[in-house]
Order: sequence, then structure tokens, then C-alpha cells
Amino acid sequence: MIKIALITCIVFAPLGAQEIKLPPNLDRLAAKATEVVDVTMDANLLQLASRFLSDKDPDDAHVKKIVGGLKGIYVRSFEFEKPGEYQESDIDSVRTQLHTPAWSRIVGVRSLKSGENSEVYLKTENGKIGGLAILVTEPKQLTIVSIEGTIDPDQLNELGGHFGIPKVDTRKETGHGKDQ
Amino acid sequence: MTFAEALRANQSMVFSLAYHFLRDRGAAEEVAQDVFLRLYRKMDDLESAKHVTFWLRKATSHRCIDYVRKRASRRTIALEDTAEPPAVDQQGDPLLNRRLRQLIATLPEKPRMAMVLRYQEDLTPEEISDVLEMPVRTVKSHLQRSLAILREKIERSMGDIR
Amino acid sequence: MEDFERQLKYALARKPEPPAFEAKALAAIAAAKPERRMLWRWDALAASVLIAAGLWAQHQHGLSERAAGEAAKARLELALKITVTELSKIQKTVRTSTEDE
Repeated sequence: MIKIALITCIVFAPLGAQEIKLPPNLDRLAAKATEVVDVTMDANLLQLASRFLSDKDPDDAHVKKIVGGLKGIYVRSFEFEKPGEYQESDIDSVRTQLHTPAWSRIVGVRSLKSGENSEVYLKTENGKIGGLAILVTEPKQLTIVSIEGTIDPDQLNELGGHFGIPKVDTRKETGHGKDQ
Repeated sequence: MTFAEALRANQSMVFSLAYHFLRDRGAAEEVAQDVFLRLYRKMDDLESAKHVTFWLRKATSHRCIDYVRKRASRRTIALEDTAEPPAVDQQGDPLLNRRLRQLIATLPEKPRMAMVLRYQEDLTPEEISDVLEMPVRTVKSHLQRSLAILREKIERSMGDIR
Repeated sequence: MEDFERQLKYALARKPEPPAFEAKALAAIAAAKPERRMLWRWDALAASVLIAAGLWAQHQHGLSERAAGEAAKARLELALKITVTELSKIQKTVRTSTEDE
């Protein structure tokens, strides 16, 4: 029996102008997914959340620093029971928006073995990072992350090890006969 | 302690109690969510983190027992029926662990909950007595009898366990 | 503790809560209608009853705002968790493939 655990997060504030427009057909995918994460946080909601981050708690304070420059965070993540439940064309419109002069693709990783394709895009404005987008497509999973506003990827990395976020290991791998 | 802190600190405990008792992931989540909703309304009356944990154990235990009674059925869960959520650190023989959980699910409600509180939460019979609001000697009796029943059933199905 | 009881402890080890359990719980609280006490006493104490109802509504509004704020915070943490997790996986893949060259 397929159980659909819909983790839909309620939006309290009207949506502001979203830079990367997520296509409406993604809602159709939600109906086919076994698990959906849908987070839509515009500037108002981010401000509200920030008010409940404690300056005294180091983790909260760190998140508050990250959120300070942001205008929006949008996450759509779908997990499917079997491959083939979505098409690459479902996210064509997202890729089209990211293939503009303002955005640069800084990482593209494709695995023929696992069928996973991961892309990271950064938006630069006046020499600063004004946005981050991540597209991850796997046979049974699709994740789109769009973060708008001034963001420091190093600060994001520093979140590792807190809030249940895996620590980002920046050490070189050993045991491959390579330099340490 | 804020509600959010109480939720974060205790969500695994509450879900786990419900899951081990109900052996149904969806039902366990439903019960756990309901318990936290009730906690939210009760929060101002609770004085400390310890009080919150005690209240949650009690509320979860009673809510689980009510849930089963309303469902009015106690069925043995077949091995294929449940998708087990992974334990954080798997210890012991996984097959034996699974079989034990299935057998625990066949115990009557109060002995079952006493066993879950004893072996998941390491509560003493006195603490279990407070949570389940039953005499200590009844708790001890439930635990002893349940151990004996489980040991016998396991030995019959899987051989001697020492 | 004898072996059998140890086995029971292993069997009943805590299971992690489902993904986004925290966010769902906070969202459910924010969505729950606040209870309102409807008092219909039209006698000499009606004025004080209305004042009490007004104070109660003010208190409930404060609770709703707190719930909304906590829910927003939980969603933010979830979004950041997914972001960092995906970045971490990508970094690891890039590092592994670079070392294999």
C-alpha cells in the first residue's frame, strides 16, 4: 500500500516576487510522490522565523546570520516509489531561468551508474552572490532548492553538525594512495 | 523550556514509544502528533524539562492504549506488513530483534506498554507505575509474566536464547 | 541484566521520528483553531464577562503568533538542512571523482 506522507508547509504570508519561478506542474508531481517537502519562505516569513532565533543559542545565532541577507528560500523535494514518475521536461523551465547571464553553473555532476544528476548555480550581482540554486535529479527523487538574496556558501557549510545537518567533511579522502 | 525545545528533545522518544506499541508507522505518527498538540496546550502548566518528559510518556502511553481499544483489534503483524523505520544504532541480531518486536505487539495493552517503557526508556517499575497509574506490584507482575511469555515463544520459534 | 533482557533493549531501541515530524507538528499547531470559551451570561456580571473574553482573545492571539513563529523557524531549519545535505553530497562526489583522476 502506498502511503503518501505529505509534508506540506503552510504559507502564512502572500508570496512575494519569486526570482526563480517554480513551474505549476510540480504540483502534479506531488500527487505521485510518496513523500513531498514543500517549503516556501518569502522575506516576511524569513523575518518571522528570524525573530524566534535566539541570539544566545550559537546554532540559532549562526542561522540568523545566514538568514539576515536572504529574500526567500524555496524547496521542492519529491520522493517517488519507482523511477519514471517525473520527466526532465518537468524542470526544463527552471533550467531555462538558470541559463541566463546572471546565473553561472558552478558544479555539474552526473553519475551514469546511479542516474543522479546534480547541479549548483550561483547568481552574482555586483561581485556578490545574490542567489543559490540546486537541482538534483535521481531516478526516484527530485529536489529543487532556490535561495534568493545575499548568501555566503561557507556559512552554509558551517551549519554542518547542527540541527541534524550532516557535517561537511572538508578533509581530503585518505586510503586512495593519494596525497593527504 | 519552550515548546519547540520540548518537541525537539522528545520527538524521538514519543514516536518510538508509539511505534513499538502500535507497530504501525502511520498510526504512531498520528498519535505522536496528537500528543504534541496536547502538550502545546498544557505547556504553561509544566514546570521543568523533566516534568515535560514525564507528562509526554504518560500521555503517549495512555493515548496508545486508547487508540488500540478504539480500533478494537489486536492482530499479529506479519513480517511483510511493516516497513521498519531504521534504528539509530543497530545492535543485536536484527532478525531476533524483529521477532521480539512482533511478539511484544501480541501482548495485552498494559503489559505491552509496561515492557516498552521498561526496555525502551529504562524506567524502573516504580516509574512505570507512575506513568501508567497502576500499582507497582501489578507492573512487576506484568513485566515478569511478559518476560516469561516472550522467552517461551522465542525459544519455540528460534531456539534457546541465553 | 541477563542476555534476554539485553536483547529486548536492542529490539526496543528508540526509532528516529519520521522526516519533518517537527515541522509538521508546529504547522499543525499553527493551523489548529484556538479554543474560544463562549460565555452567554446576560445578567449584572455581563460587562466583566466581556472584559474577560477580550483578555482571553488577546492571550490566544499571542499564542497563535508564537506558534506561527516557531513553525516558520522549523520550516527554515528544514530548508537549510536539505540545502546543506545536498551540497554536502555534491561536494563529496566532486572530491571523490577528482581524487580518482
